[in-house]
Amino acid sequence: MITKKPEQAKVGDHLPEVTFGPVTRTHLALYAGASGDHNSIHIDIDFAKRAGLKDVFAHGMFSMAQVGRVVTNWAKASQIVTIGVRFQALTHIGDVLICSGEVVEKFTEGSDEFLKVNLVAKTKPDVATVVGQAVIRIV
Amino acid sequence: MDSDAKQADRHARIFDRGTIGVQTSPIVIEIERGRVASFAQSIAETNPIYLDKSAAQAAGYPDVVAPVTFPIVINMLANEMLAKRGEKALFQLIKADFRRLLHGEERYDYSGLIYVGDTVIVSGSVVGFEDKKGGQMELATLRTTISHKERGDLVSMTSTAIHRLA
Repeated sequence: MITKKPEQAKVGDHLPEVTFGPVTRTHLALYAGASGDHNSIHIDIDFAKRAGLKDVFAHGMFSMAQVGRVVTNWAKASQIVTIGVRFQALTHIGDVLICSGEVVEKFTEGSDEFLKVNLVAKTKPDVATVVGQAVIRIV
Repeated sequence: MDSDAKQADRHARIFDRGTIGVQTSPIVIEIERGRVASFAQSIAETNPIYLDKSAAQAAGYPDVVAPVTFPIVINMLANEMLAKRGEKALFQLIKADFRRLLHGEERYDYSGLIYVGDTVIVSGSVVGFEDKKGGQMELATLRTTISHKERGDLVSMTSTAIHRLA
């Protein structure tokens, strides 16, 4: 089920999804400018071709930003303790990122209570470009 | 010597492993409203606490909250400042070769939020190195801390960079 709030969440609950895309060159150009990551591999097709690729591909951090939105659309900013991701596959022009999260653990440390949430961004049902985890403080 | 380390000798390592523990100079960064707004827009942020001062204040925050992955922007700005001062950022310190470099992992541990209008202090350090896949890859772990003069440490960023050696 989709959970309303972190405080009511149970292990196995899913967070509301975030969908982004299809990814365009404009998205990558704007992200490059706004983030300060000007690596040409993401914005200059001539450079990408010289590097042996067919085309530019999205910044890994752009996918992290989208799985981050899964967390920040659901939990309060002040509740987020940790967010971490592992980059697994490239996100290409035209891909649609479907980002989701699932509560996998509830734990306590001292008097504080936390949720552990698994995060994933997929471009195809069997292709995860980013997997990660967030820790959210609920008490 | 474990098997990964033994096999690693077959491929020339690139990272400068003598840099473990080396720190970059602290850099002061102002969190500018326009910078946060254009970043929030570029990631299609819709939550108003990241976009609108009055919405952020209505939710109990002093000003617009920097999006959860905004620390990467602060890190880039700090690297630019280091370059302007003629100092090396972490990637230059460890002698990263961008033709072989992959971004492996990125993690942010928050102890406080970053708001528009904040002045933060950024400093980086080299945590360590590892050989992987029988020496076909090498990993560098880097840490950047973002702190505030009154509120203390806000975010600890841990990043793993990978060299493909084979």
